[in-house]
Amino acid sequence: MISHLIQDPPKINYIESPAKIDALSDHWGQLVPLASTFDHVDGLFYFTYIVCIFFFVLIAGVLAYSVAKYRRKTWDQPAVSNVTHNTPLEVIWTIIPLIIVMVMFAWGWKGSLDMTVAPADAVQYKAVAKQWSWTFYYPNSKVQSFNEFWVEIDKPAAFTLQSTDVLHAFFLPAMRVKRDIVPGRQGTLWFHPTTKGEYHLFCAEYCGGDHSKMYAKLHVVSAEDYAKKPWDVLKDSTPQEAAASGENLYKQLCISCHSVNGTAGTGPTWKGLFSKQGDNYLGRQREVVTPDGGTQTITVDEAYITESIRKPNEKKVAELPYRNNNMSAFADLDDRRVNCLIAYMKTLADN
Amino acid sequence: MSHDHGHSVVVPAPGPGFLPHTVAHHFDTPTQEFQSAKLGFWLFLATEILLFGGMFAAYFFFHQAYPETFHQGGKQLSWELGAINTTVLLLSSWTMAMGVRCAQTSQKNKLLVYCGLTVLGAVIFMVIKTIEYMAKYEHGFLPVFGGMGYDEATGQLAWYKDYHGVMEGVPFGNLFFSIYFTMTAIHGLHVIIGAGLILWIMKGAAKGRFHAHYYLPVDLVGLYWHLVDLIWIFLFPLLYLVP
Amino acid sequence: MTTHVPALDIHTSEHGSKPNYLNVTKGFKSWALTLDHKRIGLMYLIGVTAAFLAGGVFALLVRLHLWEPHGALFTNATYNQIFTLHGVFMVFIFVIPAIPGSLGNIVLPLMLGAKDVALPRLNLLSFYLWLTGTCFALYAILAGGFDTGWTFYAPYSLYTNQAVVSIGLGIFILGFSSIFTGLNFIVTTHKMRAPGLTWFRMPLFVWAIYATAILQVLATPVLGITVLLVALERIYNIGIFDPRLGGDPVLFEHFFWFYSHPAVYIMVLPAFGIVSELVTVHSRKPLFGYKLIAFSSLAIAVISFLVWGHHMFTSGQSTYAMFAFSFLTFFVAIPTAIKEFSWVATIWKGSIAMNAPMLYTLSFLIIFAIGGLTGVILGALNVDIHLHDTYFVVAHFHYVMMGSIALAFFAGLHHWWPKMFGLMYNEGLAKLACGIIFVGFNATFIPQFIMGSRGMPRRYATYVEDFEMYHKASTLGAIVLGSGVALMVGYLVHSLLAGKKAMQNQWGGVTLDWLSPTPPPLENFDTPPVVTHEVYDYSVLDLKTLQTPVR
Repeated sequence: MISHLIQDPPKINYIESPAKIDALSDHWGQLVPLASTFDHVDGLFYFTYIVCIFFFVLIAGVLAYSVAKYRRKTWDQPAVSNVTHNTPLEVIWTIIPLIIVMVMFAWGWKGSLDMTVAPADAVQYKAVAKQWSWTFYYPNSKVQSFNEFWVEIDKPAAFTLQSTDVLHAFFLPAMRVKRDIVPGRQGTLWFHPTTKGEYHLFCAEYCGGDHSKMYAKLHVVSAEDYAKKPWDVLKDSTPQEAAASGENLYKQLCISCHSVNGTAGTGPTWKGLFSKQGDNYLGRQREVVTPDGGTQTITVDEAYITESIRKPNEKKVAELPYRNNNMSAFADLDDRRVNCLIAYMKTLADN
Repeated sequence: MSHDHGHSVVVPAPGPGFLPHTVAHHFDTPTQEFQSAKLGFWLFLATEILLFGGMFAAYFFFHQAYPETFHQGGKQLSWELGAINTTVLLLSSWTMAMGVRCAQTSQKNKLLVYCGLTVLGAVIFMVIKTIEYMAKYEHGFLPVFGGMGYDEATGQLAWYKDYHGVMEGVPFGNLFFSIYFTMTAIHGLHVIIGAGLILWIMKGAAKGRFHAHYYLPVDLVGLYWHLVDLIWIFLFPLLYLVP
Repeated sequence: MTTHVPALDIHTSEHGSKPNYLNVTKGFKSWALTLDHKRIGLMYLIGVTAAFLAGGVFALLVRLHLWEPHGALFTNATYNQIFTLHGVFMVFIFVIPAIPGSLGNIVLPLMLGAKDVALPRLNLLSFYLWLTGTCFALYAILAGGFDTGWTFYAPYSLYTNQAVVSIGLGIFILGFSSIFTGLNFIVTTHKMRAPGLTWFRMPLFVWAIYATAILQVLATPVLGITVLLVALERIYNIGIFDPRLGGDPVLFEHFFWFYSHPAVYIMVLPAFGIVSELVTVHSRKPLFGYKLIAFSSLAIAVISFLVWGHHMFTSGQSTYAMFAFSFLTFFVAIPTAIKEFSWVATIWKGSIAMNAPMLYTLSFLIIFAIGGLTGVILGALNVDIHLHDTYFVVAHFHYVMMGSIALAFFAGLHHWWPKMFGLMYNEGLAKLACGIIFVGFNATFIPQFIMGSRGMPRRYATYVEDFEMYHKASTLGAIVLGSGVALMVGYLVHSLLAGKKAMQNQWGGVTLDWLSPTPPPLENFDTPPVVTHEVYDYSVLDLKTLQTPVR
């Protein structure tokens, strides 16, 4: 009855493991190294930290001293003192912490104001979150990037954040920014990157199933590199290049639901979608379900795959469990990328 | 398990036809028992108000977000029926108050009559409420009978149909009816519970349990009934007479 | 007032000792239908301990899974269910009812010199509501489990599987259990005090339970209506929290935290009460700043209603709201700091008995200092934006909820154990277990502070390899912590079977709970007590016999 608690071996398909890109292990400060201009976060954090350590040592010290000195040695030993009040002391330990926390409050408040309003010259990006991937839109560019994005160093970057399903949160630890993304509302966030490198973007608000795999990589690059539009670099001039790009896209977008080795996943496997006969690829026959509940048999071809990527629930594979699962639509995936994915699928054809 | 070790305080009956009352073993005096129960009940009423407070907060939040929806939605309710129900509940509050008074003065028969009138008020209220609900059902606004969940084919709500097009073009018309039904249904549940409690009081009153020396349960049920009335007094203008 | 000679005085059982509440009647029915506050408290104690152990097993499964970056044991979906179960069991079924339901029930009427709580039947109803709510939670596991996290954030909780309805109703029922307990304790404190027991002669445990009870009564109904709306939303799609239907998920967050922040104090104030009580008894010294501690409990209760927004600093609330919530959050630190300082000052120059209850109390004082101080770090707006929803927050609230509250609960349990059962546990093992728990706890959560401040988000079934060593350290700590708890359960059970007889006033307390016979009889006192001395006045204690004069 509780078999759902102990079924299935672990499924490992982490997006291209981004180990060590923040060089965390080499850094012994408490916070991850700062790569934006929000140094007031670090300043207040370490200030509070020191204050906390001071009070902790004070409390622990007095306790340790008391226990050592006033420990009861005989059963009937009375207390050394029966003092119950010391007004000056009580006033001091009320006023001093009050002053300290008010300093912290003011400091934190000022810092948060700084983080609220983006400068007018900030570059405007858009990030769309869905279970469980990120899509990034760039100004003056028709091409999007998935689970990977680029910003220019020393240029403030402002983001409009949207969610298509549940709550997510956009969290860049190295930039000290985080913002919940509420479906139906639009969120904003900005930062000013100061150090070149690659950084983690995590989803920080629990969003179900593969929440922990909702990951993206931020590249902070120089002005010349940024001008080359690295997100728009797609090699697809030959079928081989297209297939390689397709595989790359597959790992970013599709791997969590579709296998390429024939095993079942949330969605059907890609292995053997086509069969190869000489130089021709023939699509498989499949029974599919349309939204009105009717079934029909179709041939898997380029048009069907394109439709299945952009409007996946128009013709769902009729086999169980796939007919009960809904795939998220990738309506914005452009033709070149769709073709790369098809080229990759063809490399998985049966003979 | 008996807690009675033979030393409990007994409140005598005021006359023939009435029963004496034994104070619970852990209290020293009838006054202590009375005050404890009264304080506890007032605290319980506070939690009831806070429970409804959450729904009132949701009401004000969405009213502010979609004023047009609430304006149009309010027009779909019959203010005449709402006003009749308000009058019925107010009158029943009065009969309940008279019932408590009769218990305090040991008038057994009058207590039974007033409690009976209060229950009658509750029945009339619920009948009118049902008529209103049926009308909403015919318009396609009632979540319960309209089917649950989403319509797979259209991706729309299964229950919200708007058969007569009266809410057409209004953003999220379903929200007004969701809030209307949630609030009035939970209030209706309170009316039914209150009527049940009053029937229980009548059972005890017929045996002569309540009299000038012991009327605590009548007093508490009376307070509960006034709360039910009070909540309706807020619901009526907010839902039926939306500004 | 009228006095009665309790009939129990003249009875003696066949063993020659006076009957007490444990042996006065026998059989299942005499327990299942009991109206005696001590028996109800014991049933609560067994129940919440079972919930704590279940929640602890879930916690260990979570930690073991995180041994590997890719997850060592489960699928992501199963992991999500397990951490949700850990949260729900620990928060709603263990921590919230634990201290008021068990120790509060047993000790509060004793401390007030009352024969029982004011409303004994309501008390029994509270327990059965708790049991029913717990059954709903268990049913939800069997019905497919739920993976929303203990916060049930919409809209995810509206789209995931249907067992959310059952757990939602379970929490609604648990909420009413908590409300009725609180209501009962308020009335008991107001109406059942012994003659001479004025408000400022009440022990601080009573003050703390009283402040808690106010919160239980005033905050919990809002949670009740919130989970009820989620259940209705699941069944009828009423759309109040669903953005597809015009609803607002942020409204859910406001509703949820309007309860759940005060709930933090529902959990922690009773722990404060226990510690206030224990530092004075085991230092044999009047509490330093009694009135200030009593008032700070009430101040915390009031301010706690006004800080819920600090759980939502990243949700995009207006800058004015952020200003107010952050300011008040810092403000609530002050009464809390006053308490900590006063406890330390009480120990200073006392006669400090290094027994098991005191060791647990000292562990509390150290751990709560860390838990409270890291809360100050989280109150700052800009810093919280970085730390929100990371392991730093996880570590902070475990320092408060597990490290402080559970340790105070253990301290209170060891303190009143001889009063409850008339039996002692093995002191040596108790001290050893306390040491293991203290070390294991810190080893579990200090690495979580570090990885959290470096950006490790919470509720992750898998994680980037950068964090591997912290997770491994934390898992090892959790194993140590778990073995300490297992040892504690072991020697406590052993004490029930073969413990030495405890003294009537085991620790030399001067509050009324120590005046009653050990274990107490059904109506608690042989003669109704009258209070003639100030609270914590140890001069009335005969140090040779540990007896206080009976008046």
